Formats: sequence, structure tokens, C-alpha cells
Amino acid sequence: MPTVVVMDVSLSMTRPVSLEGSEEYQRKHLAAHGLTMLFEHMATNYKLEFTALVVFSSLWELMVPFTRDYNTLQEALSNMDDYDKTCLESALVGVCNIVQQEWGGAIPCQVVLVTDGCLGIGRGSLRHSLATHSQRSENNRFPLPFPFPSKLYIMCMANLEELQSTDSLDCLERLIDLNNGEGQIFTIDGPLCLKNVQSMFGKLIDLAYTPFHAVLKCGHLTADVQVFPRPEPFVVDEEIDPVPKVINTDLEIVGFIDIADISSPPVLSRHLVLPIALNKDGAWGQPGGAAVKCTHSASAARGSPVGIPGADMAPLGKPCCEGDEVGTGITDDNEDENSANQIAGKIPNFCVLLHGSLKVEGMVAIVQLGPEWHGMLYSQADSKKKSNLMMSLFEPGPEPLPWLGKMAQLGPISDAKENPYGEDDNKSPFPLQPKNKRSYAQNVTVWIKPSGLQTDVQKILRNARKLPEKTQTFYKELNRLRKAALAFGFLDLLKGVADMLERECTLLPDTAHPDAAFQLTHAAQQLKLASTGTSEYAGYDHNITPLQTDFSGSSTERM
Amino acid sequence: MKIFSESHKTVFVVDHCPYMAESCRQHVEFDMLVKNRTQGIIPLAPISKSLWTCSVESSMEYCRIMYDIFPFRKLVNFIVSDSGAHVLNSWTQEDQNLQELMAALAAVGPPNPRADPECCSILHGLVAAVETLCKITEYQHEARTLLMENAERVGNRGRIICITNAKSDSHVRMLEDCVQETIHEHNKLAANSDHLMQIQKCELVLIHTYPVGEDSLVSDRPKKELSPVLTSEVHSVRAGRHLATKLNILVQQHFDLASTTITNIPMKEEQHANTSANYDVELLHHKDAHVDFLKSGDTHLGGSSREGSFKETITLKWCTPRTNNIELHYCTGAYRISPVDVNSRPSSCLTNFLLNGRSVLLEQPRKSGSKVISHMLSSHGGEIFLHVLSSSRSILEDPPSISEGCGGRVTDYRITVVPLASVIVKESLTEEDVLNCQKTIYNLVDMERKNDPLPISTVGTRGKGPKRDEQYRIMWNELETLVRAHINNSEKHQRVLECLMACRSKPPEEEERKKRGRKREDKEDKSEKTVKDYEQEKSWQDSERLKGILERGKEELAEAEIIKDSPDSPEPPNKKPLVEMDDTPPVEKSKGPVSLLSFWSNRINTANSRKHQEFAGRLNSVNNRAELYQHLKEENGMETTENGKASRQ
Repeated sequence: MPTVVVMDVSLSMTRPVSLEGSEEYQRKHLAAHGLTMLFEHMATNYKLEFTALVVFSSLWELMVPFTRDYNTLQEALSNMDDYDKTCLESALVGVCNIVQQEWGGAIPCQVVLVTDGCLGIGRGSLRHSLATHSQRSENNRFPLPFPFPSKLYIMCMANLEELQSTDSLDCLERLIDLNNGEGQIFTIDGPLCLKNVQSMFGKLIDLAYTPFHAVLKCGHLTADVQVFPRPEPFVVDEEIDPVPKVINTDLEIVGFIDIADISSPPVLSRHLVLPIALNKDGAWGQPGGAAVKCTHSASAARGSPVGIPGADMAPLGKPCCEGDEVGTGITDDNEDENSANQIAGKIPNFCVLLHGSLKVEGMVAIVQLGPEWHGMLYSQADSKKKSNLMMSLFEPGPEPLPWLGKMAQLGPISDAKENPYGEDDNKSPFPLQPKNKRSYAQNVTVWIKPSGLQTDVQKILRNARKLPEKTQTFYKELNRLRKAALAFGFLDLLKGVADMLERECTLLPDTAHPDAAFQLTHAAQQLKLASTGTSEYAGYDHNITPLQTDFSGSSTERM
Repeated sequence: MKIFSESHKTVFVVDHCPYMAESCRQHVEFDMLVKNRTQGIIPLAPISKSLWTCSVESSMEYCRIMYDIFPFRKLVNFIVSDSGAHVLNSWTQEDQNLQELMAALAAVGPPNPRADPECCSILHGLVAAVETLCKITEYQHEARTLLMENAERVGNRGRIICITNAKSDSHVRMLEDCVQETIHEHNKLAANSDHLMQIQKCELVLIHTYPVGEDSLVSDRPKKELSPVLTSEVHSVRAGRHLATKLNILVQQHFDLASTTITNIPMKEEQHANTSANYDVELLHHKDAHVDFLKSGDTHLGGSSREGSFKETITLKWCTPRTNNIELHYCTGAYRISPVDVNSRPSSCLTNFLLNGRSVLLEQPRKSGSKVISHMLSSHGGEIFLHVLSSSRSILEDPPSISEGCGGRVTDYRITVVPLASVIVKESLTEEDVLNCQKTIYNLVDMERKNDPLPISTVGTRGKGPKRDEQYRIMWNELETLVRAHINNSEKHQRVLECLMACRSKPPEEEERKKRGRKREDKEDKSEKTVKDYEQEKSWQDSERLKGILERGKEELAEAEIIKDSPDSPEPPNKKPLVEMDDTPPVEKSKGPVSLLSFWSNRINTANSRKHQEFAGRLNSVNNRAELYQHLKEENGMETTENGKASRQ
């Protein structure tokens, strides 16, 4: 989730803060102090977050485009000049542009607005913007809600009492409301001082920038991981299930499946899964950091539909790896000078094993994120030949991917009577076929455009002229037309086609097979009967069958 | 998202009164004369559909699109109204398909123009529609059961689409009042029932249809709230294709659909098989598939307004699929599609192509000329989905490689374990086994080619141990010995050997290169060498006779790369052989590197030993000698010493 810091550099931010001691502070110093703290936190704990810095007064300027270089951001903080009045709306429009240009409209962003709660005066002030909100057209639409998923955090360099003395707080609350309630207002508790600013930014960090740590598990193998960006809570249905769902911190692998079978599934979000060294001993769930050798056999543990309702997908982790303690991974003569990183690099980690196995086998691991909530782990290579373990979250629910069926009914291959992948691994039980075919897969009849009807009539006519060779196709097409005409109550068509067939009969060349005339007459007669609409002949399920003639035994087309 | 919104339940009420048998006065030519046969034949007179036929086929088209895109949780109840209401299906999922509805409609048949118009009314159908909206669906029932005490969260909303021929605006008002009143009554009934649900919200869509060329007696009216429960809108539409167009617009509005036109689809011409022309196909799908366009207000997408349609279609360009390669795309959504013109030749060509298992990437036409792939069409089990691919910058770009993190420097995870050894000892091999063995051999060839270290132990060896190519030579020898030992088992074993021999026999150039490589090895830094060698290999490869093999082994190539995630990573110290050591005699360990042969033999011995019970004597033996008649000693009252160490006393 990229972050845009939007910093108020209007004159009101230079208002001094009365502090004990000699140095004089302005509000902008407090703001810079808080942001420094935020940037420092990100630089150490949230390194991969992209952050941009925008300053605004009556105009706005992108000081630092999206970057992971927190030094640059930090430097920019100390190079800010003071400008004129606050004009929030144009700054928010600027944020919209910056984010959309960089990330498009689908990636969630966090907007951290730092201001003193003075909302400007006259045109362009927030009060003015809000007052004219209902009179907007499409062209000058108010920038909120942001045209991308977002959180708007408003950091006020003022305390609650100060904001409440005017209508500032109400206006800022309106802003959050306009962003569909996505966001929060932070104010300084107590007097304006560095300590209280810190505690306010501390709250923001706790809310939005704490790394998400989890334990990845597969059978008895485990690894401590950070999941980046943090998975966001998800609401399935705001009406019947309004409580946002949060993913487990125990991420249990429940099975493996071929990439071809999972087939580019739609996902809510995707995340890097980065192994972290919390403590050396725990890395493998075995004391002493013992190395684990593995015989990878993920292919033996693929998910398969076993059709046992309620049968849980058994934890398939075990067949993947056989533990075997060999060596410690670190030789005795290793120098103590090795940095912690280097040591961590040399301690076997399950993530690396999993990543390599999935890559080699062309598979993904299915991971349980919560009750009736799954995701997948897979190897993802970026353009620079770097490769990573990634996790994507499916939509919560018992059947996130229709082509896999119910997740609860997946199970190990060994549970199936016959290997659903075939002995030679030459078939797959996936994708599952839907119970009813879609219209484009079942040759439906649509006559809304005349061309649709004409094509169907032509087909009959073409086959009629190749009787008796095409007897079967002729009747198949005839019955298809008959069924549709009956359903649509289009009996005139049946009469018309009957007339047409009778005419064809008269046009038969002398060389024609005698059976052709018999079949055409018979078909025309049957259609006429159906067109009366009397139930005896107009039954939907009734089919016109070829007339049995003395010729038909030998001449009927074999199907 | 709300599951139980108005679109969960749709009731169609179609007028079946005598006047619906009237012609729509739009002619259809059905007797299109084929060329060469036109002389002297007068085509049959065109026919026209009745108001009833137009209404039914338009509503079926509405249902077709809806079922294609939402096969579940969006339900239709079809009611036909004349002297009474005929409810053609129920809310159950089994009843939700076109075939069922078509069969039921055929049973009803067209309206009887000679029936007494006084007895017939659309009102019967509207009353039945309200009644049916109160009936609980399987989904509502399931959700209520699941939510227990929160069951009241399950909403009951619905939509009534009524197609009729009204007499006047006041007639329309009368119909609305009737629905309003009926809802009121039925909600009272439902309040006291366990099987019925009160209607919270009902959208009435009244469609007045009349023959082409007549003046409408009813005026259009946009959606209006008649009560907190009921909203109503009136559409006055000419019959024929106008009615079909209206229902097509409505289905898009009701189910939040949007349109995408796939352009530049190359198709073979029917007449001239060698030429191909480009076609366009329009698809409908949920509008979320356009989320990126809607929000960024992309105007340069060349959207063209369809005739009579209420909104634009977005044009995406077909990208001819290169191969059927299996790739995991980052896909942010997948939405079922329905072709607008399902039976047209371009549509069915496209859908059949996809149903055969091919995927097609779609590109946004951009003025700048840059290529942006934003969507993919793909079928999954007979259903076609429009996948939305992420086309914006990734927030996860330039991540730290897995080889840089925890455990990244460890190289012997044994991800590619040699399956040959365990397979070759079998008495009979399957095709798959042979393939596996060949794979392994190619893999080894590849590893050698890249000068990868063999995962063998260096414990106990002094100094550096044998040079790498020497290691490989030993390995190949041992491998050959092993495979040769089993060739008499079957013809398939023989094939493994053949493959091995083919791969072993190297052309002289390679030997030459090897020597050069060894010299260089002394001078150059280890990591540098690997890279350079690899580059040299590339040009060499082309002339190399292994090329064919390597190509077949492309996958293996990729596999081999994985172990080399960090090419310069140090060889982990203290490497041990692949198998568990508990079965090997301890003497072996101190003897220096365990040879491939010895640990394979061990493995075979271990495998064999599981097949029979070991002789008690051998178990207790010392140096393969067991003392016989031990019990005699006991009987003789002589002291037995520790098992196996017994000695004559």
C-alpha cells in the first residue's frame, strides 16, 4: 500500500508553539518531527513501502515522487519553505493525479495529511469546498472519495479543544465521511510538544504501519515470516456479514496443486512472504537449528476432488518433506564476525525450500487463511531474475474458484479410488464442469436478429438438398427449430418452413434419390401438425423422427 | 457487495391475453434464396412475430445473459398471465436454466386470440409475482439458518419485470396500485409465517409494448418511489427488435454489466480458407472488469457507442496467443462473460476457440503505441471468464530475492533429488519411470555443463578433493555401472542405459573446452567464472549435438537453475549424502567420501532387507559369523557371553 504524505506548508503552520525552554518551535517543526519518526520507522520496519511527499498551500507540489529511499524523504522535510494559505481541495486533486498516474485505480493507497486544522479562507478553503459539494458536476467532482481504494489519515498539529473551538473538526470529519468512512483523524493529546506529537504518530504507526508477522506451517515444518504489504481486513457482504475478516497469523499449508489447474485465479491482493529470523532455534521447529533435507514430492500430494462432503483437505505437508538431521549448517571454524544476516542466510529456511519446490514442480501451495478462507503460495520471478515467495488471497468463501469446486472437498490424491491425474500424469480432474452449460456452449436458439433465424432456416434447407445422405443432420436441425418455435409461440414459422419443404420437394431434380421426396413430405407434414399447437403434436419433448422407408435402411446416414 | 439485493430475485410477468397474439408488424424474411436456384421461384412471404413471441424471446435473452454471467444466486421466476396466473418455475437452483423455461413456455403455447378478453388480465400475474417474492429462496434459507439469531440480516428484495400491453397511463397507475396493495397484504401474511419473508424492497419495471407503427397510449416514466417498499418505472417500447434492445439495456442496468468489444480477431474466411479477415465480438460481463478504466476515466480507449445502447463498449485488442504456456498471471478479478450476439459466426468462433482451452490476452489500444495487456479471456471447464490483469506498476517491484534472505545461502535443499537410483533397481519400469531416469540424466548433463558442484560429501578428504570434472567422471562411471547392473531386467532398463551412453559420449570439442576451462579456473575468481562459462556455453550449445536432448530437457534446465539461485553461494560445508545414514555401517563414514555406488548399494540393501525377515543367526553375528548350537552351552551350564562375542571357553 503506497503512502502519500500531504504536508500543509501554509503560513499558519509557522505559528509558534509555546514551549518551556529556550528554543522556539513552530507547528511545522512538530509536524516534521512526527514525520521523521514515521520515516525512521518505515526505513527499519516497513522498508518496501513506497512513499511520496506532497506539500501544499494554495498550490501543491510533488516534492518527492514515490520512493523507498527514506533519506530523500527526510531531506525534503528539512527543505520546506513557507507559503500562503491552505487550499485542501486542490491538494487532494493533486493526490488523485499522482496516485493514478503511478498505480492506476486498483491499488490501495494511504494518504497521510498533516495539517494544523486551519482550513483556509474564502474560495478554495475546505469550508467553501464542502459548502459547494452538492453542486458539483462530473467535471469538477470533489476528489473524495478517492478514485482508488484508500485510507485518509489526518494528522492534526493541534489538540482536540483547539479544533473544537471552531468547526474545523466537523469539516475534517466530513472529509473522512466523504471518503466512505475510510480513514481517521488524529489529534495531539495535551499540550503541543515533541513528546505528544510522537505519541500521536506512534498511534498512526500502530494502526497502519506495523509489519504483519505470521508463522508459515507445512506439517512439522515452520518458518516465521513477514507478509508485506499487510493483508487488509475484508468484508464479504456488508449486510449479512458486516464484520471484516482478518487473516490468521498461523498460515497452514493444506495442499498443493498444479499451476495449470489453479489457472490464473482472481485474487484480492498479493503479498511478499519474507522469512524472518526471530530466533535461530525456532527456525525449523527443532532445537539446534538442524538442517532439513527434503525429498520434494509435492506432485504426490496434489489436491483432488474426492467428492466426500465435509471431508477436510488433510494437511498434506508431511509428504513434502522428510526431516533428517544432518549437520548444523554452520561449521565450527566460522568466525563470529559473521553478520547476523549472513548467519541467517546459512540457516536452512522452510520458505526457501517451499519456494524452490513450487518453482521446480510448477505448482502452488494452498494455504488456509481463516475459516473458509484460502490463498495460494507460489514462486514469483520479477524481470530481474530475482525470485520470491508470494502469497495471494482468494475471496473468502467455501468456493472461491468455481473451477476447483468446494475447497472443503479437495483432498490428497491417495484418498481417491483412482489417481485423478492418471497413472502417467496425463490428465487432470480440473477444471470442474458446471452442471448447466452456458449459452455459448450449448447451441441455444436466438432469433432476435433476422439473421439468426435465417441461418437456422438455411441450415435445414442445405441439408434438405442433400437428402438422404444428410437425413440425421436434417432432422436434428429441424427439431431444434421446432423446439424454439414452440417455446416462443412462433407457430407461423413452422407453417412457413413446412411450405418451404414442400416447395423443395417439387424442385427435386429427376436424379434425386426417391427417399428425399418421402422425407421432405413427411417433415413438412409433421411441422404443419406441430403448428396447430394441439398438444398431441406440439409437445416440446416430442421429436420428429425420419420416416422409415424401404430405402432408409441402407441410405440413412450413420452417425 | 450484497447477496440479497434486488437482483437476487427477478419475477417476469408476461401478458398472455388475446391481444398479445397480435402481430408486431415487423416482417422477417425467412426464405432467403440461395444463389443458382433463384430462377423462376418466388420466395415465400415474410412472416412476423406476435407481441407474445417478441416478449418471450426478449425475456429469454435477458435470462440467457443473466444465467451466463450469474449462474448462481441470481434467480428468475417466470409467470404468464391470462385468465389466471401460470407460474412456470420455482426459485430452486435446478429450475434456473433456459431449457426448463423454454419447455414450460412451449407447454403454455401462444395466446389464444379467440379467448374472452374480459376474463384475461395481467393483474393475476402481478398478484402471483408479489406472492412469489415472499417465498424464501434456498440461498435466503441457508443464510438465515447460518446466521441464527442474526437471521433478520437476510434481506428480501426483488424485481418484477412486467411485459404487457396497457391501455393508458391510468391503466398503468391501476397496475401499480394493485402491486402496492398486494405487497401490503402479503407482508402482513408473511409476518406471521416461517416460510414466507416480508418484502423490504420491490422494483416494478412495467414495459408497455405495442405493434410497430402504432402510437403508444402509455408514456415513459423514470423510476419513482411509490412507497418505502415499492418503486416503479414505465417503459413504452415498440415490439420486435426494439423490445429486445430494451431488455438488453435493462439486464445490463439490473446486473451492473458492462460491454467489451474484442477487436482484430483473425478468422479464416469460409469461402477462401487461406485468407483471414479481422472481426469484432462484443461481450457482456460485470462492470468491475472495467474498474481500472472507470476510475481513471480513460477516454482514449476508442469506445464507440452502440446503436440504441445506453452506454459505451470498451474496445480491447486481440493478441494472438503464442503458445499454450502455463503461466500464473496476477489477476485481480475474473468475470463470466456472455456474448451479445451468441449465435453469430464471429461470436461462436471466439467462444469455441476459448472453450477448447486456449487463452487470449487482450491489449488496450493506446495512442502512444505502448503495449498494455490489461485482460485475458480464458475458459475454465466450459465457462469463459474475462480476467483482469494488473497493468499498473507493482508495489512489490524490486523485492529482495529469496536467495538474499533467511536460508537463502543454503543450496542443498535437495529439491531436485535423483530419482534414478531408486527407480532403476525395480524389476520392471513404467514409461514414466524411464522418463524420470532420462530427466535425471539430462539434469546431470546440464549440471556438468554449468560446472555445478556435485552434492557429494567432502568429509574426511584432505585438501580440496578431486577436481570438479574428475568428480563428474567418477559419477558417470558409477552411474553407468549401476545402470548396467540392471539392464537385463527389461527393455526399458536398456533404454535408460542408451540414454545415459548418448549423454556421456561427449564430442572432442567439449573435452578440449574442459581442459581450457580448468586452466582458467585457476586464475579466475570463482563467481566470475560461472557467469563467463555460462555465456560461452550459449554459443557453443547451438552446434552441440546434445542440443536436441537439451531442448527436450528444457524444463530440467529451468530446474537446474533453481538450485543455482545464488550462483556464487558457497558450497555448504559438511555436506552429507542423500540417504539417511542410520542403515549404513559406521565404518563407511570414516572412509572419506561415500561413493555414489556405495550409497546406492546401501539403499538397495536396505530396500531388500525390508522384503524378508533376517536370519536370527545373521542378526546376532559378528563379522558375519554366528555361533551355532548356543543352547547347548546353556544346557551344559556354561556361561554364555554377550551375544555375538561368545567365544569357546
